[in-house]
Amino acid sequence: MKMLKVLLQNLIKGPSTDPFPFGETFTPKGLRARIRFDETACTGCRMCEHVCAGGAIRFHDSPNGLEFTLWHNTCTFCGLCEHYCVPKAIKLTEDWHLAHKQEDKYTMTETGTVALIQCVQCRKKIIPTSQQLNAVAYKSSNEMIKRLGRMCPDCRRELSTKLLIKGESV
Amino acid sequence: MSFLSKVSVRSPWLYRINAGSCNGCDVELATTALIPRYDVERLGCQYCGTPKHADIVLITGPLTARIKDKVLQVYQEIPDPKVTIAVGICPISGGVFRDSYAIEGPIDKYIDVDVNIPGCPPRPQAILEGIAMAIEIWKQRL
Amino acid sequence: MLEVMNTLILKAVLAPLVLFPVAAAVLVFGLLLKGVDRIVVARLQRRVGPPLLQPFFDILKLMSKQSMVPIGAPRTLFLALPMIGACSMCLAIALVPIVGVYEPNGQFGDLIVLLYLLTVPAIVLMLAGSASGSTFGAIGFSREMSLMLAYEGPLLLVLISVAMKTGLAQGDLITFSLMDIVHYQQDNGSFLFDPWMWPAVLAYLSIIPANLGIPPFDIPEAESEVLEGPLCEYSGPALALFKIMSTMKTMVVLALGIVMFIPGNATGMMALIGFVFKCLILFLLTKSLLRASVGRMRIDQAFLFYFKWPELLGIVGLLLVVFKG
Repeated sequence: MKMLKVLLQNLIKGPSTDPFPFGETFTPKGLRARIRFDETACTGCRMCEHVCAGGAIRFHDSPNGLEFTLWHNTCTFCGLCEHYCVPKAIKLTEDWHLAHKQEDKYTMTETGTVALIQCVQCRKKIIPTSQQLNAVAYKSSNEMIKRLGRMCPDCRRELSTKLLIKGESV
Repeated sequence: MSFLSKVSVRSPWLYRINAGSCNGCDVELATTALIPRYDVERLGCQYCGTPKHADIVLITGPLTARIKDKVLQVYQEIPDPKVTIAVGICPISGGVFRDSYAIEGPIDKYIDVDVNIPGCPPRPQAILEGIAMAIEIWKQRL
Repeated sequence: MLEVMNTLILKAVLAPLVLFPVAAAVLVFGLLLKGVDRIVVARLQRRVGPPLLQPFFDILKLMSKQSMVPIGAPRTLFLALPMIGACSMCLAIALVPIVGVYEPNGQFGDLIVLLYLLTVPAIVLMLAGSASGSTFGAIGFSREMSLMLAYEGPLLLVLISVAMKTGLAQGDLITFSLMDIVHYQQDNGSFLFDPWMWPAVLAYLSIIPANLGIPPFDIPEAESEVLEGPLCEYSGPALALFKIMSTMKTMVVLALGIVMFIPGNATGMMALIGFVFKCLILFLLTKSLLRASVGRMRIDQAFLFYFKWPELLGIVGLLLVVFKG
C-alpha cells in the first residue's frame, strides 16, 4: 500500500531525467577530466611520470626541449599528477566530452615542449626554473633569485658558495 | 535509406560484455539504464539478455587471459550489423593493468571496435554521448 | 536458404493480417497499448519513457535482421514454432466478440476452442525453449511448464463458473457460446456488479499476470534480466513473430475478460470507444501498476501461490454459481 503512495507521488513530481543528450547537462565543480599541460611552468622533475597510475605520461629529451606526451586513453583521471606537481604545470580541467571514434584513438593526446635556455655562465642548455616554481618557493622575487634562475645547477652552486664566502660583492 | 532502415535505427538494443572488468564501468552502465536521471530508454535502447538480440555491444574490462576465448565466442554470436563500444580505458589500452602478465592486450587486437569512451569509470553522460555516436555509426551500416 | 526462410516467415506474418483486417487492427491497438505501458511505467518511476510508437520500431527492426538457427536445434521445428504461435493467436482473435463492433460466427468455435487456443502460445514457448538446443532454453521450458500447470487450474474454474451461470439462467446446465454470455449480461446486468461473482473476477485478475508474462510472474517468458529463457536463441523475424504473438495474446485475454465480466450495451462508435477505454483501464491496472512496483517471484513461490488464493477463489466462485444459481 505504501508503494501506491510512492507511485502517486512519482506521477505528481514528474520525470527527474537529465535532459542530456537532448539538452544541456550540469558539470560539477572540480570534476577531473581532460588534462592541460602548461609548458612554461614545467621544471622537468618528472614526478608526474613517476606517480601516473596508468602510465599515461611520457617524457622525451629532444633538441627542441623536453617533450611531454599524455595519452588520454590510459589516463585514469586520478589527479595524482596534479597533486604532486609543485609548480602546477599539469592540471585537470572539467571537459568530459571525450568519447571518440576508433580512428581518433591515437590522437587523444596532450603534448607540450618545455623550452630550453642556455646557462648564462657556461652556455649549457638547461630547463629554467619557472616563475610558478619561484612563487611557491619564495615569498617574493628579487634580482638575485632571477639571476640564479637562469643558471645551470653547477654554476648556481658555484655562485652561491662564492656569495656565502665573499659576500654580496660577487 | 529504405523505410525499414529509417525505422530500425530508432530501436537499438544494447548488450554488455564484461571482459574481466573490475565492475566499475559495469556499475556505470547499470546506472545509465536504470536510474531515472540518465534514462537511456529515451533513445529507444533496451538492455537485452542474450547476444542474439543485440545491436550495440558494450565491452568493459581489459581482456584477461582467462576470459579471452569465451568473450570471442560470445562476440561471434552477435548478428551483423553491429557496433562495438569500448567503455572505460581498460578495453582501449589495458588501463592501469597495462603491462600485466594476465592481460591479453587491448581489445582491438581481436575485435573491431568502433567507439571508445575513456574514463575510469566514464561519466554516465559521457557513456550516453558514446551511445549516441554509436547509433549514428549504426545508421550508416544498416 | 536463410533468405528463403526469412521471406517465408515474413509472408506468414503478413498473410493473416492482410486476409483478416480485424487481426491487423487488434495488433496495432495491442502495440499502442504496449507503448502506453512503457511510457506509464517510466513516468511512475520518474523517468521519461521511449516514444509512443517504440514497439512498432522494435518489431520492424527485428524484421530487418537475420534469423539464425543454432547448430543443435531441429531447423524446421525451430522456425515453424513462431508461425504456429502467431497463427493460433490470429484465430483466437476471430473468436472473441467485441461488443457492438464485431460478432464472431458461432460455428467456428466457442469458449472451449478459445481455451484450447489460449494454451497454444504457452506450449509454443515451451517447445521453443527445448528446441533451442541450449541449457538456458531448457530451463525456460521447465519453468514455463510449471507456471502453466499452476495458472491453468484457476482459469478453467473461472471460465466454467461464468459459462455455468449463463447456462443455468437459460435452462441448460452450461453454455459455451460467448455471444450467449454477452447477451445474458446485456439483459441482466454485468457480472462485475454482481457480488456473487466477485471471487471469479478476482481469480481472473490474479491469473492475468502469469498468462501474459507480467512481473511478478514473468519468470519463464523472456525475462532477459535474469536468464534468457525460451527465446534466447531466436533473432530476426522469428523473434518478431513471438513478440506479435505475445501482443495478440494480451489482447485476447483482455478482450475475454471484458466479454466475461463487463460487456456493456453500446453499439457503433460508442462501443469502440468503450472497448478501448475498458481495455486501457484493465491493462493499466494489471500490467503497468504491477510492473512498475514489484520485482519478480521465484518459480516455486509462484507455483505455490497459484495453488492457494486463486484456486480457492475459483472454487468458491464455482460453488457460489452451482448453489446460488
